[in-house]
Amino acid sequence: MDAQQRDTLLRAMLEELVGMGYGEASVERAREAAEVSVAEFEAEFDGKDECLFAAYDDLTERVVARASADCDGSDPWPDRVRVGLESLLHAVAAYPEMARALTRSFPGIRPAAYERYVALLSRFVPVMREGREYSGVEEELPGEVELLAVGAAEAIIFGEVDAGRAERLPQMMPEILFSILVPFMGPDRAADEMRSAATAA
Amino acid sequence: MLTTGNDVLTVPDRERILQAMADCCAENGYAETTVDTVLKRAGVEPESFDSHFASKEDCALAALNKIVSETLARISMTNPDAEGAVERRKYEGRAVLELMAARPTFARLGFIESRQGGTEPMHSAYASGVRVLALMMERLGRSGGSGLAARAALGGAEAVIRRELAAGRAARLPQLLPDFVYAVLVPFVGQGEALRQAKLAAKVATEEG
Repeated sequence: MDAQQRDTLLRAMLEELVGMGYGEASVERAREAAEVSVAEFEAEFDGKDECLFAAYDDLTERVVARASADCDGSDPWPDRVRVGLESLLHAVAAYPEMARALTRSFPGIRPAAYERYVALLSRFVPVMREGREYSGVEEELPGEVELLAVGAAEAIIFGEVDAGRAERLPQMMPEILFSILVPFMGPDRAADEMRSAATAA
Repeated sequence: MLTTGNDVLTVPDRERILQAMADCCAENGYAETTVDTVLKRAGVEPESFDSHFASKEDCALAALNKIVSETLARISMTNPDAEGAVERRKYEGRAVLELMAARPTFARLGFIESRQGGTEPMHSAYASGVRVLALMMERLGRSGGSGLAARAALGGAEAVIRRELAAGRAARLPQLLPDFVYAVLVPFVGQGEALRQAKLAAKVATEEG
C-alpha cells in the first residue's frame, strides 16, 4: 500500500473505533475505505490491534509535531505557548472525531492503550520546563509543576471533546492559556497574559 | 437495610466480588473484563454474583460507590482540630491520597476506567464527583480566570494521579500532597501563598496518623 492509502486506512480505523466501539470496529470496512487488499493489510499489520495502535501513534506524532513546531521560536515563553495552544485547539475543533479517538476511545481500550495516552501527555512536559525557568521562582516550584500545567489544559480539552463541544475550544483559548500559565506565573501575571491573548484573538 | 442471617453470610462474597472487579479492570480494562473473570478471581459462584448485581456494569458502579463512600468516610475522620478551610483540605487531601495508596485498583477504577474506559453511567459518576470537588475548590478564594480555573487545577492534579496509578506507583501518591496543594490553591490564593501552603503540606504529609 502507498503512503496515502496507509494514511486513509489508519484514519478509517480510528473512525471505526469512535463510531462503532472497539469490539465492533471493522478492519474490513477500514480496508475498503482505503482500497487496501487483505494481502496488503496483512503484509503491514498483524491484525486489528496492531493497526489501531499504529493509527494512534501516527495521530499522536502529528499532534505533537504540530504543537511543538508552533511552540518553537525566540518569542517569550508565554507567547510561544499561546501560539502552540491556539494551533492545537483549532486542530481539535476541526477534527472532533480524531480528538475523541485521541482522548477517550483509544485510551479506553485497555491498560496498554491507556499507557500511550499517558505517554502523549508527557511529551508536552519539555515545553513546560521552560516555564519553570521563566517563572522567577524556579527552585521553589513543585517537582510536578510541568505535568500539573499539561493536565490542567487536558482536563478542559477532554471535557469539551467529550461533551461534543470541540468547536468551542478555540474561543476558550485565553482561559485555557491562563490555566497552563498560572502554576508558573501566579494568577495576576497569568491573567495579564490571558487578557492579552483575548485581545489578540 | 435489614440484615438477615443469610445476608451476613453473603457480605464477604459481595466484598470479594467488588475487589475482584477493581483488580480485573486494573489488569485488563473494563471493556475486556467479563463477569466470568471476576467470578474466578473472587472465587465465588455465579449465583452469588446474580444475587448481588444485575450486570457487569452494576457491579462496576457498586465498586465505584464503595470507593466514594470510603473516601467520604476518611474525609469525615480527618483532623478535627485543623483550623480554616485550607488547613482542613490538606488533611482531607492526605486522607484521600492514603486511601488511593491502600486501594490502588479501586483508585484506578475511579480515576481512569470511569473517565476513559467505562460505560456512560460510570463516566457520569466520575464527572459528578469532579464537579463537586471543583465547586469545593472554587470556594477557597478568588479566581484569576473563571469557573474553569478550578476544573483545570483539579485536572492538573488528576493527571499526576493517573500517571502514578498507570505506572503502578500508587504508594507514592501521599508524598505528592505538597504538589497537589500547590496546584489547587495557586489560581485562587496567589503564587506566594500557594508556595507557602505547599511547604506546610510537606509537614502534614509526614505527620504521624
